[in-house]
Amino acid sequence: MNPRICFYFQVHQPYRLRDLRITEVGQGKADYFDSEKNHQIFRKVAEKCYLPANALMLELVEKYPDFHICYSLSGVFMDQCKEYGPDVLESFQKLAATGKVEFLAETYYHSLASVVSLEEYCEQVTKHVRTTEELFGMTPKVFRNTELIYNNEIAQIARLMGFNGIIAEGADSHLEGRNPNDLFRPPTFRLPAEQEKIVRANRPLQKRARDIAVLLKNYKLSDDVAFRFSDKSWVGYPLDAGTFTDWLMQSGGKNANLFMDYETFGEHQWEDTGIFDFLRELPAIWQERGIQAVTPSQVIADWKKEHTHEYDVHETISWADMERDLSAWTGKHIQDAALSSIYALESQVKGTGNKGLIEAWRRLLTSDHFYYMCTKYWSDGDVHKYFSPYDSPYEAYRRYSHALADLRSRLSA
Amino acid sequence: MHSLMFGWEYPPLHLGGLGVACQGLVRGLLSNGVKVTLVLPHESETTDTDVRFPSDEIVQKLRVCSMLQPYNTFESFEANIRKVPKNKKDMYGNDLGEAISNYTEMSVKMTEDLNPSVVHCHDWMTYEAGRRSAEHHNVPLVAHIHATELDRTNYAPNEYIYQRELMGFEAATKIIAVSNFTKNMLTKHYGIAPEKIAIVHNGSIDRPPSPELIEHKRILKKQHPMILFLGRLVTQKGTVQFLEMASLIHKEQPEVNFVMAGDGHMFEELVDFSCRHGLQDSIIFAGKVGSMEAKQLYAQADCFVMPSISEPFGLVALEAISHGTPVILSRQSGAGEVVDDCFQVDFWDTAKMADCVMTILREEPLAHQLRSYAPRTLNKLTWQRQASHVQSVYTDLIHC
Repeated sequence: MNPRICFYFQVHQPYRLRDLRITEVGQGKADYFDSEKNHQIFRKVAEKCYLPANALMLELVEKYPDFHICYSLSGVFMDQCKEYGPDVLESFQKLAATGKVEFLAETYYHSLASVVSLEEYCEQVTKHVRTTEELFGMTPKVFRNTELIYNNEIAQIARLMGFNGIIAEGADSHLEGRNPNDLFRPPTFRLPAEQEKIVRANRPLQKRARDIAVLLKNYKLSDDVAFRFSDKSWVGYPLDAGTFTDWLMQSGGKNANLFMDYETFGEHQWEDTGIFDFLRELPAIWQERGIQAVTPSQVIADWKKEHTHEYDVHETISWADMERDLSAWTGKHIQDAALSSIYALESQVKGTGNKGLIEAWRRLLTSDHFYYMCTKYWSDGDVHKYFSPYDSPYEAYRRYSHALADLRSRLSA
Repeated sequence: MHSLMFGWEYPPLHLGGLGVACQGLVRGLLSNGVKVTLVLPHESETTDTDVRFPSDEIVQKLRVCSMLQPYNTFESFEANIRKVPKNKKDMYGNDLGEAISNYTEMSVKMTEDLNPSVVHCHDWMTYEAGRRSAEHHNVPLVAHIHATELDRTNYAPNEYIYQRELMGFEAATKIIAVSNFTKNMLTKHYGIAPEKIAIVHNGSIDRPPSPELIEHKRILKKQHPMILFLGRLVTQKGTVQFLEMASLIHKEQPEVNFVMAGDGHMFEELVDFSCRHGLQDSIIFAGKVGSMEAKQLYAQADCFVMPSISEPFGLVALEAISHGTPVILSRQSGAGEVVDDCFQVDFWDTAKMADCVMTILREEPLAHQLRSYAPRTLNKLTWQRQASHVQSVYTDLIHC
């Protein structure tokens, strides 16, 4: 039997920091973010990716009965839609209205809260679920953590939050030769009572789920599209929809999970690479060959627990960098200092009850800030450099440290 | 392989980075098995008997009588000439142009019996000698450019010198620039084709700081942090920018001290500037410092700032790094191309420069990461490795 396809797209834009100066710290200028640049980047990506890709997706889901897709939109992306792109928001709402598009839950601020503060983590997921309900009229049942950060504990917490599915990276080291196209489940165990209590007090969904399934990213096939599609030195270049479908069918298992940044379409891979034509052809070929593209919830609905494998992940994994761990955001002095300093303010910030202050603090939790501070491969001109709006990791830290210093001064005032 | 090299300064007699770079390159080439004959101009035939490094015994130093000094301008040359007894003066010629032509004549003549495989000359004063020598030996000419006249004069070149440079670039079979910054300078302001220029960054003999020094600096809490400038007190080095930055920092953090080490014609002007900006109790003008003093200053500094307006490379940046000192480099510099772990700021953006300094002083994790990560570049930039890049330029020229 052919595997089914599960297409999932991550949609996110951070709030980038402006060129803050030490002389502004404590002066009561509350705005840390570069609204001009954020606006400009949002519109650029909207024109190149969100609008044309959404229009194409709408056309495809309406045309092909077996073509379903799935998104998660970070909360800060949804905020930016309201601020800079009502047209973009509307195009996502049209997709939602087809009933063939699933929206997943994630942390509202695209944060690393899952590995730092359980309470903040739960609050952010709750806020995200409420916002998704409000904007798209559906309650997410499946969870995706920021950048697919995952371990056994995160899976169990997601179950306690009420989700019956979670998506994760299909890391070779944990697959141990098994096919990522199969369905997995985390090992069963109980969290410490203290943690369970926190989750119970801040649960995004009504009740805990009995079981939770893990859908693993097929990174080879996903990256063929997301990273290699326009790489002329790649042996698979140029990739056409027919060949890619052959690879999908050969990949075996039950469902091939193609998880990627939505910005792949038109932004990372420009329109002139033929990425939109490629996308347009896929569902036609799949219909011809009887391949269904389904949502994570459809996969889970057909789930027979006895047929699943255990995905046992003790150390934390993610979909970032070659290492596929947390080293894109943590591990260097400046990253760790920034991360521990911002979370150290949590109770104080929340204690003020000041909405503007809490919002500013939360926007500083977005993982991108720490990603920009990564010096791992900076000199080799790698993806961190490509994605960074600043000219160096130290510049990222300089701006961030001023925002932090100003937050502290507002707290002590 | 035999390189006939025309240089213009060499340690221990040197004023700036050129001599250090030349020595590093010669030693690197020697250790890679390239034979080097080095021709140097010196004020008198007897001053340079001091050969302190054994490997340099292999260098055949052919000394040439000349008043030539690196960083010469016509004015300073005249000042030098005036100090010379009248009868001796004839020997050197009356102006710089004549001195160079004497240097050229003699150095070419002294080396005409050699059998080099390549001629390699360093900066404009030696280009004519290089050109004629290469022609005589019928071998490729490599023109190495360490600093252009535009760098030294803030884009108001002495026409004679500019023309000399241009002649050298045009006569050369290949040009070696010490940075991409300098390569751009040559393509943009001299009209040189980019494919004619190879980039070989300077190497460094400095070693990374010890973990103990890094740790010492991490735990040391100072009442008066010190910010260091080291370089000639001339416009090119961004001296005024340093003081502008200092006065901005002084307004916010009067406890911060500044040291300007080096001498130059702007000394009085800079002292005056600092007094007018209320820096008199916060700044020390250390004058020209020897290498031991420089080492101490680097080690004591909490941050080293190189605000140069136009800096082809900037070896001082690597020296500071080797003492575990965070550096802020002008974007108009070559060193920024090889140091990842630093701040880079446009030379004119003194407000940002000041902000970077104050951020480093406030944020210990940042300072610590800069101190401990930046020195990694020193392991990559050995002279042996950089000389092998030069060697492959030679090889390409000889075999084509």
